[in-house]
Amino acid sequence: MKNTSRLAWATATVLLGMAQFAAADDKPFAGKSITVLLPSPQDATMAADFEKATGIKLDLQTASWDDVSTKVSTALLAGTAPADVTEFDWSWTGQFAAAGWYVPLNDVVSKDTQEDIKGSSLFNINGQLLAVPYTNDFRVMLINKKHFEDAGVKAMPQTLDELVAAAKAIKAKGIVKYPVGLPLSATEGASTSWYLLTKAFGGDLFDKDMNPIFIAKDSAGYKAMAFEMQLLKDGLVDPASTGLKDSDINDTVFAKGLTSIMISGEPGRLGQYADPKQSVVAGQVAAIPVCTASGKTRSFGLLEGLGIPKSSPNAGPAKEFIKWMTSKEFQIHNYSNGVLPTRTSALADLQKGGTLISGEALVAQAPTVEPLFPAGAPTWYPQFSLAVNTSINSVAKGEISIDDAMKRIADAVTEAKKQ
Amino acid sequence: MTQSTLNFGKSGQHGIGGRSDAVLGYLLVMPILLTMAGLVFYPLLSTSWDSLHRVDPLQQGTPFVGLANYTRMFADAEVGRSWSNTFIYVFLAVTLETVFGVTAAALINQVKRGRQWVLAAVVLPWALPAVVSGVIWEWIYAPGPGLLNGSLTAVGFNFEDFVWFNNSTLATLLVTLVHVWRMMPLTIVIVLAAMQSIPSELYEAARMDGSSRLNMFFTITLPLTRGAIAVAMTNATVAAFNLFDEAMVLARNSVETRPILIQIYLEAFRKFHFSYGMALSLVVTLVSLLVSLGYVLRLHKNTRLD
Amino acid sequence: MREVWFHRIWVWAGVGILLLWSLVPVYWTLATSVTPTTDFNLRPIHFYPSAPTFDHYLRLFGVTATTIGGVNTADQFRLALFNSIATSAAATALCVLFSLMGAYAFSRLEFPFRNALFYAVVGTLAIPGYAVLIPLFRIMVSLHQIDAYLGITLIYVSAFLPLCLWLLKGLLESLPRSLEEAARMDGASHLRILAEIITPLAAPGLTAAAILTFLGAWGQYLVPLVFSPKAAKPLTVMIPEFVGKNFIDYGLIMASGTVAIFVPCLLVIFLNKYLISGLLAGSGK
Repeated sequence: MKNTSRLAWATATVLLGMAQFAAADDKPFAGKSITVLLPSPQDATMAADFEKATGIKLDLQTASWDDVSTKVSTALLAGTAPADVTEFDWSWTGQFAAAGWYVPLNDVVSKDTQEDIKGSSLFNINGQLLAVPYTNDFRVMLINKKHFEDAGVKAMPQTLDELVAAAKAIKAKGIVKYPVGLPLSATEGASTSWYLLTKAFGGDLFDKDMNPIFIAKDSAGYKAMAFEMQLLKDGLVDPASTGLKDSDINDTVFAKGLTSIMISGEPGRLGQYADPKQSVVAGQVAAIPVCTASGKTRSFGLLEGLGIPKSSPNAGPAKEFIKWMTSKEFQIHNYSNGVLPTRTSALADLQKGGTLISGEALVAQAPTVEPLFPAGAPTWYPQFSLAVNTSINSVAKGEISIDDAMKRIADAVTEAKKQ
Repeated sequence: MTQSTLNFGKSGQHGIGGRSDAVLGYLLVMPILLTMAGLVFYPLLSTSWDSLHRVDPLQQGTPFVGLANYTRMFADAEVGRSWSNTFIYVFLAVTLETVFGVTAAALINQVKRGRQWVLAAVVLPWALPAVVSGVIWEWIYAPGPGLLNGSLTAVGFNFEDFVWFNNSTLATLLVTLVHVWRMMPLTIVIVLAAMQSIPSELYEAARMDGSSRLNMFFTITLPLTRGAIAVAMTNATVAAFNLFDEAMVLARNSVETRPILIQIYLEAFRKFHFSYGMALSLVVTLVSLLVSLGYVLRLHKNTRLD
Repeated sequence: MREVWFHRIWVWAGVGILLLWSLVPVYWTLATSVTPTTDFNLRPIHFYPSAPTFDHYLRLFGVTATTIGGVNTADQFRLALFNSIATSAAATALCVLFSLMGAYAFSRLEFPFRNALFYAVVGTLAIPGYAVLIPLFRIMVSLHQIDAYLGITLIYVSAFLPLCLWLLKGLLESLPRSLEEAARMDGASHLRILAEIITPLAAPGLTAAAILTFLGAWGQYLVPLVFSPKAAKPLTVMIPEFVGKNFIDYGLIMASGTVAIFVPCLLVIFLNKYLISGLLAGSGK
């Protein structure tokens, strides 16, 4: 009895589904609506464009990256969906995979696409693709060429010493008050800048067994933090940076020509800076490969992906959104919003079309991009990062010494690993 | 439901009295009891119980760990710092609110015309959401276009780009100031009410004796408002232990300004240590109760002496 | 005579400082919300908007801009405003109703454990809300009441019930009994007495309790931050997020702040008398 009725239902559903297909076979989810939670800012006409393409209504919600991170984890803990599609940062993979919070997307992304989006391997845990990278955020240094020229700096810096010399020259000429942009607030941007500088000093944060190797005075991590504090002490970094996130510095300081060098620069931002409507430094900004102690550039990737929480009731249309947002066409379009494509083919097209700004530098940087954690982000990454950025913030305010900070971070790692 | 309860009331009239009154009583308090039982008493018990276990949403099982969550907080430097921050907030806020609140109440008590408007203006900060006060003051403190630096610059000090929050002492003070801005009205209202109830004959008699106004304040006003001041201080203490919103908005996760409540929030919802967070919140509750109890006992003693 | 004037000048100077301290931040919020964006770059800063504009409000309510940074800010702002009003109003109504019923029972009816129950409920005033935050979170998760109006409203009710009950029971005990006794003689039931005699007499106290509850719920931050982060998100949670992502847009932030303080301002201006009596009764005197 039960079986019959279930069968009847199934048949009815299939028939209904087919009827829908017949009506609009390329828009199977027309009329549905989904919510999407991403860091701000995003493409201004995204919702309208997506609805035009798929018939699905899009309710886009944005907040700063740090706020998005909190919202996502709190909602997931509660067993509710933070949104139908959410930001899925590379650093969350360990924790989220362990908790089993996200829908595998292997059926959304074809083999070819996975090939094209090389970074997707970072989100592939035990054969399950938990997110599809949509923004290719590896780090370069962004500079204001005009400031460099005005200060008489001809050669682009390759070593950190040359970088500091250039910054000092710019400051000495009075072109800007604080030539180096570096977030020092207790937010994620302060952590990632330190990771990048640690790479720049030729080292890593952890050894193979994930033991901290940044405590010794001659370690790269230690030198990186000392370097940051020296920049601050020399008046090259704005003391107000202790209250600024990376996005604040990007949007309000660098884009207004108030600083000359973004230490941890997002290459995607180039498109935004080149747009006279969005910035007053159009035509002045360029990317250079990350300056290092040795002069041989290094960088690391901070890929951000799109994922669907298991608790989302709209996985079907949500998958459509991920396909749409990671499509080659949208990626090329989205470049103008400060999002660098994750598809090799989209990057190649932009380069060919001559729209990729500082293409040479990006091409030079791309092969040097390493993952921060070769074995994948550990489950305790959020705790580690919180300890890193609160400690940097304290050192920058002169509250604790660098030694104290390193000890604090290492203690946090030990504590976090215990669980 | 209304019909049947109406009948209960009626039958009460007819003499079988007590019992139907009791039933109606229980019916009337039932919504309160259910709400409080479900949302306060049961969670309180489960907090106590869970704080003896390892409850961590990312880990399987909830093994018994005894007092481990409690012993752990003694070695936790961040928790230690948050405690000392909280005590500084409590001390500063209670002192400032009491000294300036009593002064303000005495001033308003002298106002004859338009007192209700002065009072409305003074109470206003209390009525605003604490986070919004935080946002407002963050904008006042902002380096560059902020009102504070702008005003200091306008009167000739070069403070245009001064970053107040880079100094932990200043930062703590500025967070406290926002809290005082919001909570002082409560002190003013409580103390002012007590001042208004002091019979004016007392002052007239003192004036006859040639007492100065200042003298009268210390010999009449203060002693007679002591009870109200203690009540106000208790409220101020509990509120300062609860400080969260202002610090969160003004200095986010910064260790130097982090009160214990933000520490608990971070432990539970950022680091996912639920049971450790529960143990911490129980200890905070206990400490805040003990401090308040201190005032209440003082007050009790004082009123008996009066 | 001279001394009196001297004294008055002192008092008014003191009151003047007090008014400045209380009102300047509010003034600055209003002033910023009507200052054109370009004026924020001016140094020295202007203490009043030279060319007031309602641009920020128009953007906030979606009149001149449908999206800000790709996001339909106006819709989300309206939703948050609605959520703030709905949850605060619902919590206020339930809280005042429950505590009026309770106050009547605790002051007029005899039943076993009456005093014990009363003090157990009122005693929770001394327990800060965060003591139960984490277990409450787990309970709400298991009841699927995260990000739901019912869940957040009930939490507000549980938070403000003890205060309202304390306030109203005190009030009911101070009411003269003669009317009630006359009504009882005429055979009126308890519920009728409660509805027709007590409620009108207690109206000022009910108003005070309602204002306190409403303002308390309206100003909540930590509770909705945890319990209603998305669909039921109120203004207090939305505004700090705004600050995070629109760092540069002071005008927009202050316009949203002005909206959030508008309702409390109205209550303070028009119902100050009740608010102050509520504060006094609530302070445990």
